Amino acid sequence: MLYLEIISPEKLLFAGEITIIKLPGVSGSFEIMKNHVPIISTLKQGKIKVKETSGIVSYFDVEGGLVEVSNNEVKVLVE
Amino acid sequence: MANLKDIRTRIVSVKSTQQVTSAMKMVSAAKLRKAQDAIIQMRPYADKLSEVLSSVSSNLSSDIENKYAKRGTINKVLIVAITSNRGLCGGFNSNVIKRTVELVSVTHKDLATKNKVDVVAIGKKAVDGLKSKGIKVSNSYLELYDKLNFASVSEIAQAIMDSYANGEYDHIELVYNQFKNAAVQNLVNEQFLPVGDIAQTENKPKKSGYKPSYFFEPSMQEIVVKIIPQSLKIQFFKAILDSVASEHGARMTAMHKATDNAFELIRELKLNYNKARQASITNEILEIVSGANAMKG
Repeated sequence: MLYLEIISPEKLLFAGEITIIKLPGVSGSFEIMKNHVPIISTLKQGKIKVKETSGIVSYFDVEGGLVEVSNNEVKVLVE
Repeated sequence: MANLKDIRTRIVSVKSTQQVTSAMKMVSAAKLRKAQDAIIQMRPYADKLSEVLSSVSSNLSSDIENKYAKRGTINKVLIVAITSNRGLCGGFNSNVIKRTVELVSVTHKDLATKNKVDVVAIGKKAVDGLKSKGIKVSNSYLELYDKLNFASVSEIAQAIMDSYANGEYDHIELVYNQFKNAAVQNLVNEQFLPVGDIAQTENKPKKSGYKPSYFFEPSMQEIVVKIIPQSLKIQFFKAILDSVASEHGARMTAMHKATDNAFELIRELKLNYNKARQASITNEILEIVSGANAMKG
């Protein structure tokens, strides 16, 4: 299972188990699933799409940010 | 001895003042909690950001192009004084103003005589206080506290960072009250720009042993270049939040003391009032008795 946290400077926007996340990377949009290689990447303006394990799909608009993936843990810092 | 009516009016007015101060204390306590929450909410973001920054920059051997890096000579200095918009909070604002004056007239004396020290004021009290001390405020932000969020703070931070990047200033300092707990604020002046040695200043990740070798996208350099301004903004945001929490803490303490003082004052006034009342009763009885005696005689 993949654990996701989306954090802004003001609050925690999302925390929970997900199956897949789609991120607007600086050099192109990409998706992260279970057992992704550890990665640090910056994000540009766009939409984050999250599919939770329960099947609910939610979207977050971001101005930019940073993502870190390691050990099936995704942390997204958004602006 | 003061007459009875005078004392009565004093007691009433002190009592209503006491009600106001104790209400203000309650309001500050509620606002303090909110301000503290904001600091706590920001912490995971700040921690993660500095963790990534230090792990990236420790992997990076060569010096990176950084427009916020240190420059040789300091030709012009900017001081950012962070205060509140409102008073009645003890020494909170005056301490910041005092330290700012000290920085201008002592620490950066040589540059100040050449008009090379600018002061930016955040909060109305800094503007008023510095003006009365004869220090020119080059720019001020007064509406920040009406709508305090990261976006509005980062706008100001960006403006200040730009003025460093384009060479207008060579050294930028923040003066503000750091929040320790509800009763204690630490006045600090902190170097904002240039940024220190990143790898050294950021605390090293606590987890030792297994360290995942990250895949960087687009590249380490570009990531660092993007993170540095963001972490500066966070530093600035933290200073503002600390200052807000300190303000409410200071006001709470000040109002608590004022309420206590009012209690003491009322106690004294009541004592005087009762003394005066007793004296007037004694007087009346004396008059009646001596009148009766005169009739008898």
